[in-house]
Amino acid sequence: MMSRDSGASLILSLLISAVLDSDGLSPPGKPRLTSCRSPEKETFTCWWEPGSDGGLPTNYSLFYRKENSDTVYECPDYHTAGRNSCFFSKNDTSIWVNYNITVVATNALGSNFSDPVDVDVVYIVQPHTPENLTVVLEDEDNPFLVVRWEPPRMADTRSGWITLIYQLRVKLEKEEEWEEHFAGQQKQFNIFSLHSGEVYMVQVRCKPDHGFWSEWSATTYVKVPDYISRERSIWILIAVFSTFIFFVFIWTMHINRNSVKHFLLPPVPGPKIKGFDTQLLKSGKSEAVFSALVIQGYPPTSYYDDLLVEYLEVYDNKEQVLMLDRKDLQESLFKSKSSSDTDSGRGSCDSHTLLMEKCVEPKEDQTMMPQVKDSEASRDLVMKNDSNTPESTNVKTKTWPTICSSYHYDQNPCYHSIPEMPRQCHISSNHFASTHQQDYWESPADIYHKKPPSGYRYAQAYSEFNIKGIALKEATFPASKSLEYVEVQHVNQENTLILKPIGQEGPDLFHAACTGHDYSRVNRVVSDNVFLLQRDTSGQCHSDCQEREAPVRSCTQQQPGKPADHLQVPRVQETHLAPNGYVDTATMLSY
Amino acid sequence: MGLGFESHLGCLATDWRPVLGVSPSPPALRPVLLGRLRFPVTPYETSGSEDVLLLSLFVHCHCVDFGDLMDRAVQLSDKVHFLSTSLKSDLDYHLPAVGKKIPHLSLCHTSPLKTPMDKNQVLSLSESELLSLVQSLLLSWTDALLLLSSEASSLPHPSTSTIQVKAKQLRENSDTLGTGLSRLAHKMGSSSSSYIPLRYTENSLGGDDDSRLVNFHFLLSCFRRDSHKIDNFLKILRCRANKQKPDMC
Repeated sequence: MMSRDSGASLILSLLISAVLDSDGLSPPGKPRLTSCRSPEKETFTCWWEPGSDGGLPTNYSLFYRKENSDTVYECPDYHTAGRNSCFFSKNDTSIWVNYNITVVATNALGSNFSDPVDVDVVYIVQPHTPENLTVVLEDEDNPFLVVRWEPPRMADTRSGWITLIYQLRVKLEKEEEWEEHFAGQQKQFNIFSLHSGEVYMVQVRCKPDHGFWSEWSATTYVKVPDYISRERSIWILIAVFSTFIFFVFIWTMHINRNSVKHFLLPPVPGPKIKGFDTQLLKSGKSEAVFSALVIQGYPPTSYYDDLLVEYLEVYDNKEQVLMLDRKDLQESLFKSKSSSDTDSGRGSCDSHTLLMEKCVEPKEDQTMMPQVKDSEASRDLVMKNDSNTPESTNVKTKTWPTICSSYHYDQNPCYHSIPEMPRQCHISSNHFASTHQQDYWESPADIYHKKPPSGYRYAQAYSEFNIKGIALKEATFPASKSLEYVEVQHVNQENTLILKPIGQEGPDLFHAACTGHDYSRVNRVVSDNVFLLQRDTSGQCHSDCQEREAPVRSCTQQQPGKPADHLQVPRVQETHLAPNGYVDTATMLSY
Repeated sequence: MGLGFESHLGCLATDWRPVLGVSPSPPALRPVLLGRLRFPVTPYETSGSEDVLLLSLFVHCHCVDFGDLMDRAVQLSDKVHFLSTSLKSDLDYHLPAVGKKIPHLSLCHTSPLKTPMDKNQVLSLSESELLSLVQSLLLSWTDALLLLSSEASSLPHPSTSTIQVKAKQLRENSDTLGTGLSRLAHKMGSSSSSYIPLRYTENSLGGDDDSRLVNFHFLLSCFRRDSHKIDNFLKILRCRANKQKPDMC
């Protein structure tokens, strides 16, 4: 029906416009519904925008239709809400019902319908602004604003029909930007952190739970008095305190600046060279600096010196005559060293020993008695650390067993002790070989390569061996026991080395001598490879010695080119018996 | 028929007996519920990320304030309506013409439910009546919302994913609200509602895309209105339950 009416009016307006075209009049333009709003969900108002009026007075009317009803109603109130509006009162308003609203513009020439709009009241709620906005300044020392307001008058929030939420905004009067705060459903709000001496502007608005925001309320002005904020005073206090602490800290650091410097920048450990003086270096005296670095007493020589004390060291220069005593040995060592021998280790190795010379000349020595010989050849064969040839050493090494073997093979039946001697010798040699031979053979190499201690060992072996060999006829000591040393007493005019046995315990020797080993002592040395053996005068072994006496004699007789004055031995023995039973050869030679 | 809200102000006893007298709960036992996170009546709540289950609170405390329960219900209903409005606006944004084609909302399946159309009419209703009305509305929409959320994925619309998400949330929240309110009503001791829910019987939105879109739009519009009704009723109920706290209204 509505459409039929509108269609009829349209045709009518067209006809009229066609007729009145020449006058410039036209039917009204199409109005347009701009908005419909309900402030409290009980009433609502619709506004429209009129089109052109066509030069004629135009009448606007609003028609609406509720859903599920075809009844067209016209707007009940055109005036309450103002011009071009339609106000629906409570009686006319239905909730949760769609309104189909149309505005019709009518003038003399025609009418025009607007587009229909569907409106549901609950969706178009826009309340009025909140009322009674009050802003109060509280707490003079630390002031803050208490903003209070009330809901719009018409909105029924008490029953819960409308639920409103609020929003307020604040700004300083001189500023541009507003500071918005959401207040929720409450009707009070506090604003803190105020600038002292400033004027604030406050506004508030509200919104229903599912609707539109209201307009901002009227501005309320408030003036904040001058005050010092607590926050600022606290900051001032903190700053002062921190400054004080800082100064104390700096002062403490200053007092202990050395230790602080030490802690932060630990000194870099420099090189510590003993005796190195940096100041001296800086002064430029390099000699003084480096001389300071020289350590006196390096390489250690005292140790080696001590080692050589016990040893027979004979360093034979052509013109040199050594009167060596035990004590003199050291001096001789030093002499030899300083003169021609810079290598102290060599000294001992270089020792001329009588036996070694004998060992060198095995063929000449057909006797079992090693003879002290001082010859040019032997001298050459003296072990020198640096200059010794391996051949000489080898010769020496070789000669050693030959001597032994000579001892061994030349078993002279005239000596009782002789069979034993080779045995003894053998044993000793074996012993020697086993214990010292290695050293002996090794030590030449050692001399070349190693340090004095091994040379010492070698020398020890050497001299021990030699002395042992010497003492074979003379000394009575067991082969397994420690060796007896003979010290050179002096060298006579004939370049003969006079040996003196180093004093040992007599009884041991005697015992040893009497425990089955027959030793003969060298009585004296006669020129050219002749040792005079003496009779052992030990009481226990007297018988043995007596027995031996004869063989001694006989052996001596057998020795080539030996005078018979060997028989003088007993005499010698009786008169020149040393306390230990040994004949002092020195006295012997005084004959 | 039902017991007025006045008799239920105060505690809801856990022994399931109706509380007839006003017995203000001791403050110590009263749970402090903040925000929209608590609705202890509903044991299972899956809507949204901010919903926190506080059934334990209900167990430990002897009394649960009715006003707080209503507040929680209001929060849910508010969210539901907000979702429906947002969903409709998404639909209208891309295809505004569709909105014009929908039939009158008087054709909504829940129209036979006689709901008040005036403020005075609404305010004249009792609490239990309001509650039962809310319940019947909610129950009427369970199937329809299920259909909506299922059909959202295949809807010929540009922003299908957004629509799908919102429809899903819509359904979930509504279900939670319905369950909670039913339990609340049960605890209140109100008899079964005099309003009979009207189920949505259609199985599909339509054959072709156009009709499906129109029907979707139509259903959504119907639900939007009904959700607003629910929300409004519950807010009235809340205001009545929190007479001591006028700020809740």
